[in-house]
Amino acid sequence: MKKTFARTLLSVSTSVMLMGATAITHADTIQIAIAGPVTGPVAQYGDMQVIGAKMAVEQINKAGGVNGDTLEAVIMDDACDPKQAVAVANKVVNEGISFVVGHLCSSSTQPASDVYEDEGILMITPASTSPAITERGYKMIFRTIGLDSDQGPTAAKYIASKVKPKKVAVLHDKQQYGEGIASSVKKTLEENGINVVMFEGITAGDKDFSAIIAKMKQAGVDFVYYGGYHPELGLILRQSRQKGFNAQFMGPEGVGNKDLSAIAGEASEGLLVTLPPAFDLRPENKSLVEAFKAKGEDPSGAFVMTSYAAVKVMADAIKATGTTDTEKLQQYIHTHSFNTPMGDISFKENGDLKGFEFDIYTWHADGSKTPVQK
Amino acid sequence: MLAFDPFYFAQQLLNGLTIGSTYALIAIGYTMVYGIIGMINFAHGEIYMIGMYSAFVAITGMAAFGIEFLPVIFVGALLFAMLISSTVGWAVERVAYRPLRGGNRLIPLISAIGMSIFLQNYVRLFQGSSDVAIPHLLSGGYTFGAADGFQTTLSYMQILIFVTTIVSMGALTLFIAKSRMGRACRAVAEDLKMANLLGIDTNRVISFTFVIGAALAAVAGVLLGMYYGVTNPYIGFIAGLKAFTAAVLGGIGSLPGAMLGGIILGITEAMTSAYFATEYKDVVAFGLLVLILLFRPTGILGKPEVEKI
Amino acid sequence: MPATLPFAAFTALVTFLVSFPIMGLKLVKEGTQLTLQSGTPGAWTFIGLAVLTVFLFQLFRPQIAGATAGLRSRLPAMPSVMPEDEAQKARIERVILWVLIGVALIFPFASSRGAVDLATLVLIYVMLGLGLNIVVGLAGLLDLGYVAFYAVGAYSYALLNEYFGLSFWAALPIGGLLAATFGFILGFPVLRLRGDYLAIVTLGFGEIIRILLNNWTSVTGGPNGIGGIPKPTLPAIQTDPELAVVGLEFGRRAKEAGNVPFHEYFGIAYNSSYKVMFLYIIALLLVLATVYVINRLMRMPVGRAWEALREDEIACRSLGLNRTAIKLSAFTIGASFAGFAGCFFAARQGFISPESFTFIESAIILAIVVLGGMGSQLGVILAAVLMTILPEVAREFAEYRMLMFGLVMVVMMIWRPEGLIPMKRPKLELAQ
Repeated sequence: MKKTFARTLLSVSTSVMLMGATAITHADTIQIAIAGPVTGPVAQYGDMQVIGAKMAVEQINKAGGVNGDTLEAVIMDDACDPKQAVAVANKVVNEGISFVVGHLCSSSTQPASDVYEDEGILMITPASTSPAITERGYKMIFRTIGLDSDQGPTAAKYIASKVKPKKVAVLHDKQQYGEGIASSVKKTLEENGINVVMFEGITAGDKDFSAIIAKMKQAGVDFVYYGGYHPELGLILRQSRQKGFNAQFMGPEGVGNKDLSAIAGEASEGLLVTLPPAFDLRPENKSLVEAFKAKGEDPSGAFVMTSYAAVKVMADAIKATGTTDTEKLQQYIHTHSFNTPMGDISFKENGDLKGFEFDIYTWHADGSKTPVQK
Repeated sequence: MLAFDPFYFAQQLLNGLTIGSTYALIAIGYTMVYGIIGMINFAHGEIYMIGMYSAFVAITGMAAFGIEFLPVIFVGALLFAMLISSTVGWAVERVAYRPLRGGNRLIPLISAIGMSIFLQNYVRLFQGSSDVAIPHLLSGGYTFGAADGFQTTLSYMQILIFVTTIVSMGALTLFIAKSRMGRACRAVAEDLKMANLLGIDTNRVISFTFVIGAALAAVAGVLLGMYYGVTNPYIGFIAGLKAFTAAVLGGIGSLPGAMLGGIILGITEAMTSAYFATEYKDVVAFGLLVLILLFRPTGILGKPEVEKI
Repeated sequence: MPATLPFAAFTALVTFLVSFPIMGLKLVKEGTQLTLQSGTPGAWTFIGLAVLTVFLFQLFRPQIAGATAGLRSRLPAMPSVMPEDEAQKARIERVILWVLIGVALIFPFASSRGAVDLATLVLIYVMLGLGLNIVVGLAGLLDLGYVAFYAVGAYSYALLNEYFGLSFWAALPIGGLLAATFGFILGFPVLRLRGDYLAIVTLGFGEIIRILLNNWTSVTGGPNGIGGIPKPTLPAIQTDPELAVVGLEFGRRAKEAGNVPFHEYFGIAYNSSYKVMFLYIIALLLVLATVYVINRLMRMPVGRAWEALREDEIACRSLGLNRTAIKLSAFTIGASFAGFAGCFFAARQGFISPESFTFIESAIILAIVVLGGMGSQLGVILAAVLMTILPEVAREFAEYRMLMFGLVMVVMMIWRPEGLIPMKRPKLELAQ
């Protein structure tokens, strides 16, 4: 039984290898899969990723490509659904693509990266901030964005040292991203002796927050930290103003979007936000920003420059090593520094960025922001 | 929580009533369609969503023409949204449900789920998936309570929601009770085949039911559009689910039941948030539904089903 | 012609009203302000064409209907694929089933890794469809919260592995059993509800389970889900007692102590496709077992009772059948299959979180059952293939894919309301 089984598998493996041999792609293009949501409720964040990565591919090709080869962006839609993310990962393997920029949602990145690590595919996520992704000792997995667990303490330390509120409410949207940040804020606040009187989850997609606002008002809360995205915070701000609840609010980079002000209007004035440094405002990126604007695209989205950087890191590593062998490339990426629109970046052992820091900004009702001294 | 604060309780009661009234408005559509042809119109939430988008289109359109007088904006948005939503409601029934009538009950249900996915993506495709927002049209309100204690606020917008809901419900009840069409509706709900034999154009009655249900969903769309100021293509799904729950809670097929069910559901959610934890409000809402159905298997005001042989 | 004119004009107006506010106008954000802009010229052309088409179609509807009817009568009648004879029909279905099994067995060795992976997903849905088919198709109980049992299965494996280190093979029966227990506990009070009340209660139950999994962060990880769930291993056959090999893993390196990578054990080169193929084979075995068990059940008294109850509840009761027990058995057995499928899903994903178990998943499984032709196993299998492959094929259309998915569901229901392969109902008619 065992013998025949082994023999069948043997013959199968040879046939599979033969098929693999015929499937080798044309030597003159290097395909990079851009995996993220093109459809579904978070498709707008997927768009940021696509425009950033596509711009990088375009500009690198215009500048002569990578060692004479051109890059090609292949867009793969996972709709932010973990089940589809695994299917996308297997499709990437199937099509012989060795480079992935993505995925976007941490819950998609996590199962997909299992496949990439196993298959030796180089993956750089420009958007997933869950700490769990780089906690597993994987070698092929990198990210060009900070972590939830960094962002929380930055915010909490600022609250504890500068704002010094009496009663804090920490809210979150019961999703991986929001709850992760909210818990780390709560933890750091309590370590610093700040009184957290409420820690509650709302439902993402809800529109009515009047009950929880009344509850915060009743509890005499004077500072609210919200872990989540802008649609819910926008409504919370708007409804708080209507109900005469005037605490100071603060949120993570997921709320730092112009739409927040569109939703909340005047109520968004003075909100505190932790954001990755605004790479599109760096003087070095002036021409790049203009290139985006010439195409009618918005370079200020949180994941545009990080996606650009992810492609750039891959291209530079391929250029320097002269190979597309991902095993060699990951060693190179781990040990070198890269010049990207995000500045000079280098990676830690686990694939996280070295020294990535979030800044604190005050948000204004017209959707602009000004940096705050930490 | 500290001691019981009547003003805080009143505030949460008002919050619950506001959200409950709009559940009730949407629930009417479910309950009328169910009462007449016994199908769950899963796409109803999407019709509410389209009503909300139409209201936004009307409001921003009027703003572009410099119309600022609030009653005009409100009535204009209301009429426009009702027109568009009822047209969509009519078309959906005609295209996706009428060809299926008379078969297995599950078949229109699947068609409705398909229609719901279709409409959601139709709007997403042309209007984008992100939230769109309009500024406040009506702000301010009354405040009660001691200056140093908890202050209950009742906004003008909430009053507008209550008044509009009560007026629409009253008009509908009157219409069903008194008008010729209303009588035909009741007859069809009682016994479709018999009504047909007696010369009632049942197809017309069914179309009419969809149109009325859609128009009321549009009213809810306009009110909530102005209250929250935000919409997106996915808003209809969860609202539809809640309204459907409200309809069943009150006894599906019964108009007062839908109203009662909506208000009970809204208050339950607000009170769970207020005195327990917000993350469990849906658990408590559904738990309450299960509990009520266990003791009253056809909902609070539902007629006990007669087993026909 | 004038007879159709008013209605044609009316439908044209309806088409215009349905399309112009959404397609023809666009709400655009300018800074923080919302403005109304006209849609693209393409959109307006499309609206114009749609209005015109609907108008002309309705205007000339009698003529069109006449023409197609004429065409149909001139064409030879399509020969029925299925013979009338019941026994022969059953034989043909059996042949098709065997052919399908044969194809399924050869499939992984003849196609690419991505295709095998997709086929594994299809098999999960086949299993779910077959399980729900017992509840909806056979027993006629509308269950909108089937995904809850799927979640119970998935979380049982994930949690048992995380806290007690149980392997896939040990967790599989437990997962099925736990899901069945949940089915039993839920079924006991709610099964006295009828029709749509049952539907909404099961829907509510599905939501409650998902929210509880999401809220109970200390145990389930809440929205973070549970990661690092090991893939199934191949139990090693102990030929050499000195080699204490527990199981064979399909990764490049063994992750757990006592396990040996599959390729090292057999001394062959590592190939990443083995893992995917092995998962596929397990899924296939599970599906075959499901098909077999349900086939037997359908022929047992309990299976007959399910169908009898669906057809006529009052007659059943008057014949002395215990209504609650029959419904409960359908509910419990149906749930157990979702539990098995959930266990396998957790193993395939390696990571699960509550967002995989939303209501839309229940709706899709239900659509599979209805589309397949309620009660028919072959139909359910075909429908599961269709419903899983369709979004993948439509991936090329990216933007339009969900739009098409919804449309296909509607069109299929209108075109074939009885399902792809309608269930054959045993019937006897008195000779005249």
